[in-house]
Amino acid sequence: MATIPATALAVRKTPRISFGGALKQSFIRFGPRTMARNPVMFVVYVFTIFTALITLLPSAFPDLSGPGFSRSYFLAITLILFLTVWFATLSESIAEAQGKAQAESLRQIRTGTRARRMRPDGSSEFVDSNALHKTDVVWIGAGEIIPLDGDVFQGVAEIDESMMTGESAAVIRESGGDKTSVLGGSRLLRGKILVRISVDPGGGFLDRMIRLVESATREKSPNELALTLLLSAFTVSLLVVILTFDYMLTASGAIVVSLGTLIALLVCLMPTTIGGLLPAIGIAAVNRVSYANVIAKSGRAVEAAGDLDVLILDKTGTITTGNRIAVEFIPARGVSKTDLTAAAALASSYDDTPEGRSILRLAFRRSPARGGPPPQIARVLPFTPERRVSGVVMADGREVLKGAVASIESVTGPLEAELGQAARRAADQGMTPLAVCQDKTALGVILLKDVVKPGIPDRLRELRLMGIRTIMCTGDNRITARAIAHESGVDEFVAEAKPETKLELVNREKAAGRLVAMTGDGTNDAPALARADVGLAMNSGTTAAKEAGNMVDLDSDPTKIIEVVSLGKQLLITRGGLTTFSVTNDVAKYFALLPAIFVGVGGVTFLNVLRFHNPPIAVLATLLFNAFIIPLMIPVALRGAPFRPRTAVALLRNNILVYGVGGFVSAFVGIWLVYVALLYLVGSPWFAPFVHLAVQALGS
Amino acid sequence: MIPTGTVPEIVLTLGIAIALAPLFGRYLANVYSNGPSVWDPIVGRVERAVFWIMGVDPRRPMTWSQYAKALLLTDGIAIGFVFVLLQLQSGLPNNALGAPSMSWHLAFHTSIAFGTNTDFQHYVPEEQASLLSSLFGLQLLMFTSPATGLCVFAAMARGFSRKDGRLGNYYSDFVRTLTRVLVPVTVLGAIALVLLGVPETLTQTAQILPLTGGHESIPLGPVASWDSIEFLGTNGGGFFTANAAHPFQDPTSATNFVAILLMLSIPLASPFAFARLVRRPGEATPLFATILTIFLAGFIVFLVFEGSNHFLPVTVNQGAGYLVGAETRFSISESALFQFSSVYSNTGATNMALGSLTPLSQTVLMFGMFMQSTPGGVGTGFGTLLINVVLAVFMGGLMVGRSPEYLGKKIGMPQVKWAAAAILSHPFSILIPTALAMVIPGVLQSAIGGYTPHGFTVLLYEFSSESANNGSGMGPINDGTMFFNVAGALVMAVGRYFPAVAMLAIAGSLAQQEPHRPGPGTLKTRSVTFWFFLVAFIVIVTGLLFLPVLALGPFSQMVGGP
Repeated sequence: MATIPATALAVRKTPRISFGGALKQSFIRFGPRTMARNPVMFVVYVFTIFTALITLLPSAFPDLSGPGFSRSYFLAITLILFLTVWFATLSESIAEAQGKAQAESLRQIRTGTRARRMRPDGSSEFVDSNALHKTDVVWIGAGEIIPLDGDVFQGVAEIDESMMTGESAAVIRESGGDKTSVLGGSRLLRGKILVRISVDPGGGFLDRMIRLVESATREKSPNELALTLLLSAFTVSLLVVILTFDYMLTASGAIVVSLGTLIALLVCLMPTTIGGLLPAIGIAAVNRVSYANVIAKSGRAVEAAGDLDVLILDKTGTITTGNRIAVEFIPARGVSKTDLTAAAALASSYDDTPEGRSILRLAFRRSPARGGPPPQIARVLPFTPERRVSGVVMADGREVLKGAVASIESVTGPLEAELGQAARRAADQGMTPLAVCQDKTALGVILLKDVVKPGIPDRLRELRLMGIRTIMCTGDNRITARAIAHESGVDEFVAEAKPETKLELVNREKAAGRLVAMTGDGTNDAPALARADVGLAMNSGTTAAKEAGNMVDLDSDPTKIIEVVSLGKQLLITRGGLTTFSVTNDVAKYFALLPAIFVGVGGVTFLNVLRFHNPPIAVLATLLFNAFIIPLMIPVALRGAPFRPRTAVALLRNNILVYGVGGFVSAFVGIWLVYVALLYLVGSPWFAPFVHLAVQALGS
Repeated sequence: MIPTGTVPEIVLTLGIAIALAPLFGRYLANVYSNGPSVWDPIVGRVERAVFWIMGVDPRRPMTWSQYAKALLLTDGIAIGFVFVLLQLQSGLPNNALGAPSMSWHLAFHTSIAFGTNTDFQHYVPEEQASLLSSLFGLQLLMFTSPATGLCVFAAMARGFSRKDGRLGNYYSDFVRTLTRVLVPVTVLGAIALVLLGVPETLTQTAQILPLTGGHESIPLGPVASWDSIEFLGTNGGGFFTANAAHPFQDPTSATNFVAILLMLSIPLASPFAFARLVRRPGEATPLFATILTIFLAGFIVFLVFEGSNHFLPVTVNQGAGYLVGAETRFSISESALFQFSSVYSNTGATNMALGSLTPLSQTVLMFGMFMQSTPGGVGTGFGTLLINVVLAVFMGGLMVGRSPEYLGKKIGMPQVKWAAAAILSHPFSILIPTALAMVIPGVLQSAIGGYTPHGFTVLLYEFSSESANNGSGMGPINDGTMFFNVAGALVMAVGRYFPAVAMLAIAGSLAQQEPHRPGPGTLKTRSVTFWFFLVAFIVIVTGLLFLPVLALGPFSQMVGGP
């Protein structure tokens, strides 16, 4: 089964969490105030205390501890209820510990940094990074750590951001343009820069991320709120169902049922699985996004990503690598392909641009083994704005040049008709023809092409399957844009885009009631990033862009937006799947519990499909299953439900099968297994004294 | 087993009811989109006169709260009028049989029963209601209550199709429902019933001289017109105590057939009308399929357990079916189809003795009242289905990883809040009064003579029927007491108006949304998968909430297996 692209879920920095800490935290959560935040578990919590009191002080509840009262039964129920609540707090604690560990590993980067702050008079002083404020200017030299986020306003430097982003290649940051932003915590490798600090201490992106993953008072997203409400309403209804049932049973006098059994029935029917795991699911989703090196400024943004209708993508950098690559040599009449290839390689041998290197690569692929002496190059003719061509002068005086067709034509005269036509045809298909000449004789044409990144067409197809329309935005002319759009499979494209085009696009789509996402890095993009429902800013971009977006990708990889979409969908599916699982579990629980309540009542025995003959054990088995399903589902909550892109109806069908039917079947099997195990345990010789001891310890 | 000889009758009756549904749905959609119709020259004038007298502008659309207030006001006035009338009837004319005035609590129960489309009868029609009360009081409510239900239906459809926050004009909808739907179809139905042998007269008694000597007077009246609106409006209150088991009310197989068609006409047409009103005709299919699936599945179970009683010794010949409590003038299948359609459409008319049904048949009937939506009563039954759709779409949306939407409208917090309240109020208003009846000293004893599984089933049935605004009663129960009158009236009012207001609130919140054009990522509700999901959702949620009381009632009646 093809799951979502590995990069999306690959935990690049699996945080090692402190289990001791999580354990401790799980007990701290038992405070009533914390518990009350989760209505479903709060009800279980209250009943745990209640059954514990009955167990400890049966004499205080004469109504309940009358004939047939079994203290060990109540003890067992109390213990299982406690486990149920504890598993829920544990799941949340583990999720938070993961977040904390992630935050901690990031926080370590920025401890103990010293910074050289410039005084207005031009002199400098050393201060602690925590003493820096917004608009302070610091000087940073090679080998130093950048103290806080800021913008380069003088100089150029090569910076290692690997500690923050996991990306090992160094990045260039320079004043002016769109690559001015530096991250606090990254290391300057070469060069020296003056940086204007853009945040106050504690206000940087790292700090925001740390706060987000650490904050216990995380805002709930709209869907989470609605689901919490639905689960609470269901819980309240079940409370009424069981409470009225209790009164009816008592009034009927027909059947005597232990209160413990009714409490077990209530707790089993309540959606404790999803209720217990709901907080963990939300935290884990934000964690997963941060493992993908994306800082989400709110959990709401992650959820919105799952809902997107439209994705506005930059052509350059997202869909294509942004570099044109040589794909073909077309020789002039009378010139062999080998000669053209050799000449093109010669003309590019000192061309360090990506285009030049791609010509060399293609040439090498076309004719890899060329014997003979290496060509003797006398002089390099670099590209200048005046000459508009580049190339080399050979030792034998030959001059080999390449350049735009028009530029070469100014050297050689018009290309022969056939070659010129081929060049024009290629241009019509969105390619860039370069001509090559030797001593004023045109040898042929090199075709350069903007190449779609590998894997992009597949990703775009997945997006279409998920119902997300993609719009490519490019400054290129229509012809080039159409060619790339066709090749990559985007649904729509906008050519000759101006800086404000993206904002117009976002506004247009939003006006039609659609949820829009976009990526961007320039200050020009900031208004559109702010307006979009999901704005993924590139870390390499300007501070303005990063401020405007609600997510920042530390790797500055625009394709990451596609992964974020998957993560958002996964968040919703995990919630929906576990809710369905909870509900279909209930069906099986009824089949186990009702016959245990209506012992010997003829008509109800037909529900006893599991053939349980020991009612108290059946009740305890169901309750135990109900408790242990929570830790069993913790991995699903933390990792997210498996998800692969496909149509909504296919997804629903699949998830009904997995969570609906799966929940139904697994509960039957699970409860039966626990029942059999419990029966064996109770029957085993060492168990009875153990129970006896426990009851004695309580002092009955 | 199902008596096989009568299968063609069932297939024919249901086949015609199903075939009529899209046609009638189209007509209803036209009424509520204020489209032109052949009636305009006649009823248009009447309507304008009514609006002029009432002083309302039918073109001014209302917000949901205005709409709800107008609805509650109209129903309140109508119910209040009948409440007073019933307490004064002994001194008013047209009381040939000498019905005494009702006690306040019986009048309270009766007026609310008819005003909420429940028509639960704690009174004896032949003895305790004068012809005046019946014709101008109760029958008035038999017209206004389905009209109210259809108004809620129309408002919900507008919630899904409008974006100006308005749900239409209540008074316009109300009057148009009467003039264009209820009155004309009632007249047609009454004519058909008269032709098929149902009496229609203002004579209140027929004198006969029995062979045993002396003389006997048999109550009579305008039965055909009463019948017609009783079934069309899914009211269900009988002109006679015996309701449809009375030979004057349902004399022949042919009238039985007409009655079934009338009961199912509006409820089955609703999905088609709704889909047209929201301009997505295809969306009728999954909704109609859901109704039909549960309806047919329930009916087959009902028929199987009425076809023979599995508890009886094999020596008992049940070749014609388990006939205890069934209407012997018809076959068991005709009888069962009438009874099942009546309960599942929340009409509540009876032609069988429900207390004599086998426990699982009783379970099936109660399950229908717990769901209330397959197809449920006029207007509100479909509204309940839509509420289930809202919740199912919410869950389904989560399951496909996308914020839920239905018909282009996002389903979020406000909709889920009201939908949950509407769905969950139903168990509250059934279970709490049932428990109270058992706990309050003396009530249980006087009503059913103490707990027995069957007695409990009867008690549970009483409140289920009232909360679902069904109106059928199971015996034996002594429910003419103050406790049952007052508790029952409150249950009926809660069961009616709480969900109705919630439905209007949902419609109102949806009507403020700009519709969202569905894309390929949207969960297609017009799919087999969604149909399955919706059916499972309705059945499972209902089962989870009501299984314990079913175990205490009908399941406990069964000895040695079903």
